[in-house]
Amino acid sequence: MPILSRTLERLFFLAAIGSALLTAAIFLLLCQLGKPLFQHGGLGTLLCSPWNPGHGQYGIYPMIVGSLSIAFLSVLISFPFSLGCAFFITHFGPLALRRKLLNLVRFMTSIPTVVYGFVALFLLVPFMREYLTGGSGLNILTASLMLAVLIAPTMIIFFVDSLQRVPLSYRQAVDALGGSPAQQLLYVVLPMAWPGILNGLLLGLGRAMGDTLISLMLAGNAVAVPTAMTQAARTLTAHIALVMAADFASMEFQSIFACGIFLYLFTALLIVALRLVGRLSPRGL
Amino acid sequence: MFATLKKNIFLSLACLLCFSLAALPAYANDLDLFKGQQGVIKISGGTAHIPVMKEAAKQVMSAYPDIRITIAGGGSGVGIKQVGEKMVQIGNAGRKATDQEIEQYGLVLFKWAIDGVGAVVNPENPVHALTSTQLQDIYAGKITNWKELGGIDRAINLYTRDEASGTREVFWKKALNKGDIIASANVVVSNGAMKTAVANDPYALGYVSVGHIDASVQPVSLDGVVPSNETVKDGSYPVARGLYSITSGEPQGAVKAFIDFLFSPSGQQIAAAKGFIPVR
Amino acid sequence: MGRLLARLLPGFSWCCALALTAAVATLVWFLLRGGLPAFNADLLFGGTRAIDALLLRRQVFDGLFPALFGTVAMVLLAVSLAVPVGVAAGIYMAEYAGGWSKHLLSLVFDVLAGIPSIVIGLSGFALAIVLHRSFDGRLGPCLLLSALALAFLVLPYLVRSTQTALEGVDPLLRHTALTLGASKLQNIFLVLLPNRLADLTGGIILAVGRCAEDTAVIMLTGVVASAGVPDSMLRQYEALPFYVYYMSSQYTGPEELQKGYAAAILLMIICSLLFVLAFMAQRRLKSWLLYR
Repeated sequence: MPILSRTLERLFFLAAIGSALLTAAIFLLLCQLGKPLFQHGGLGTLLCSPWNPGHGQYGIYPMIVGSLSIAFLSVLISFPFSLGCAFFITHFGPLALRRKLLNLVRFMTSIPTVVYGFVALFLLVPFMREYLTGGSGLNILTASLMLAVLIAPTMIIFFVDSLQRVPLSYRQAVDALGGSPAQQLLYVVLPMAWPGILNGLLLGLGRAMGDTLISLMLAGNAVAVPTAMTQAARTLTAHIALVMAADFASMEFQSIFACGIFLYLFTALLIVALRLVGRLSPRGL
Repeated sequence: MFATLKKNIFLSLACLLCFSLAALPAYANDLDLFKGQQGVIKISGGTAHIPVMKEAAKQVMSAYPDIRITIAGGGSGVGIKQVGEKMVQIGNAGRKATDQEIEQYGLVLFKWAIDGVGAVVNPENPVHALTSTQLQDIYAGKITNWKELGGIDRAINLYTRDEASGTREVFWKKALNKGDIIASANVVVSNGAMKTAVANDPYALGYVSVGHIDASVQPVSLDGVVPSNETVKDGSYPVARGLYSITSGEPQGAVKAFIDFLFSPSGQQIAAAKGFIPVR
Repeated sequence: MGRLLARLLPGFSWCCALALTAAVATLVWFLLRGGLPAFNADLLFGGTRAIDALLLRRQVFDGLFPALFGTVAMVLLAVSLAVPVGVAAGIYMAEYAGGWSKHLLSLVFDVLAGIPSIVIGLSGFALAIVLHRSFDGRLGPCLLLSALALAFLVLPYLVRSTQTALEGVDPLLRHTALTLGASKLQNIFLVLLPNRLADLTGGIILAVGRCAEDTAVIMLTGVVASAGVPDSMLRQYEALPFYVYYMSSQYTGPEELQKGYAAAILLMIICSLLFVLAFMAQRRLKSWLLYR
């Protein structure tokens, strides 16, 4: 029996440490395979130069701009919208509808990304082309709009969670003073729940940054540095998917490891930021 | 060994009987190439080839379930590299492999059909003819509105392919005369995707394998010559290329049978049915 | 300013809720409109007889069966790889780890959970190249590789759900068996885990759903446009999400497009069923176990 339990406890430990080590191993693998890039032009040129394989330029700057603009724009669109939905669930909706909307939001998390992309391609893209953005309809704004819908459930669930964790007694105090639900929200709940809201916001940003399918299908994948929302752009993730199949020894292929490393580091920094936000929260909210 | 051989003979006899009874299309005996073969044939690369590959695979796998054929896209560059690295058994390419690639990997090329690359627009678009200079100027970003070409007042939505594409390379060399392709052009991943994109976008200009041109897109004549099988065949349409299947070293076994099948009357018929010009 | 905001807020909130509902309704309506006509006997099996296809006697060419089979096989493989490791690591995190090591590990798992799936796929592909070179071409992108990469993708969710499930056990219950002389392991396996079985199952089902919907990972690790039903784990395969993606841009005619819609509906049905299952598991499994 002691041997069995010792073995099992060892196994638990190995599972945890092994998974953690694999996470680090991914980073090392990416660095290893992208190494020739760092030796050649250095990281700086790679991050700042354009993508033009015909002229020997393999920079990922356009994709970084593409990724960041699509991710930030989608968060910008989704944030107020998600906040509105969260308020509906916690404060403004009729009681019967609150639960229903929350369940709908939870259900949305189970809709596959590719399905969102599929529908948007046939519904949203022609609409954008004809009425809003002109061009081909495949552009930053279209992708951001769809991404905003995609990340909304993540943000809403987080927002609802942190709004509801504000102690009931505080909220009742406002009620007792004759405050409206909106006043209660603005002056008591929001000031207390903001770290949780920031948390949800950052998670949404991570989700938007890491998504591949939506931008691959809807953003047009042009390699120029975008200068307006109505232009086509390529994200780092879509770039990986597009170039992945190329020649293994070529610079094109190695550049996608630079994309991988960038995305990895971005994620890691975001998680650290989340941790810091977690420390900020007053009284464990 | 002997028993399986016997069984195989019996099976093929039974198959033959069935075939003759069911009066399947002609040339059914071309599939006999695969008799006694088994194993996996992985195919990747050129996206113009995919419809032919799918149909050929369907016929082969229906008759010989022991043979498995998987088909992926990626583009000509991918096909050449992957077959060179031996990650697939057959790499397809819509361009000739370079001498360096052939030498480096010991590639053997099989050209089983001829194809062209033509500029296409949406059927709603009134612009049906362009000169080479106009086409080059459009792709270089100097002409940006359909109005300048006699169309409606809308920006031209340019579509192009990724760097691995043989279609892009041929079009760039022979139609654009190695002129620039503007970086803001939308990038799509295959001939099929190009056709779909242009068919869905009334203001699009793209280029696609002539074999893929159908009613959903409008071919654009280049200097007065409409890209079609006839004009490619008689040489009047200049943007032509071969469709290659490439193996690393001389093909063996099922892979050889598959290549031979592509050159057989059945294989050539499939190529013709999918819109390409058979070589035999 | 504040007063105006307070006045406008409820209306704004209603608008958002309505817009969200409308968005989901439009999505579902659009899919159903496009795909329902394709739901017939031929959708799954094409021209092949269903019984022949199900018994793997004949290959299916114009149906969704190979893609469905590929998805199911891949998900089962991925989850059976991920669950033991994920649950074990979760147990370690909840019951054994402490102090700085717990902080560090949970930070690492958070990072892992945040890594974009395409980067996981890229690592899987890189691994395939390394394997391909060292094993003389016998290993390459395949079903097993996809499953490994997917297992890795859902690992942090499993660790986290196991950990939170165990940490949520009532302290009274946690100590009862221990004070009666049970060992730590006995306590985990006979008291804590059974008590939290519903949460655990819910977490696993959600992981299954995550595997089933992912496209980015499998795109890089072995899914192809046409492969038939795989007969081994080392084969390339077809999968539903990839089929949807492929058809969205490369359909050759109205029938194929309709199949794309139908595949999207099928995928959505699978994922929402899994979701409902997880939802019910978290609520009902406990009582179901008690009443049996």
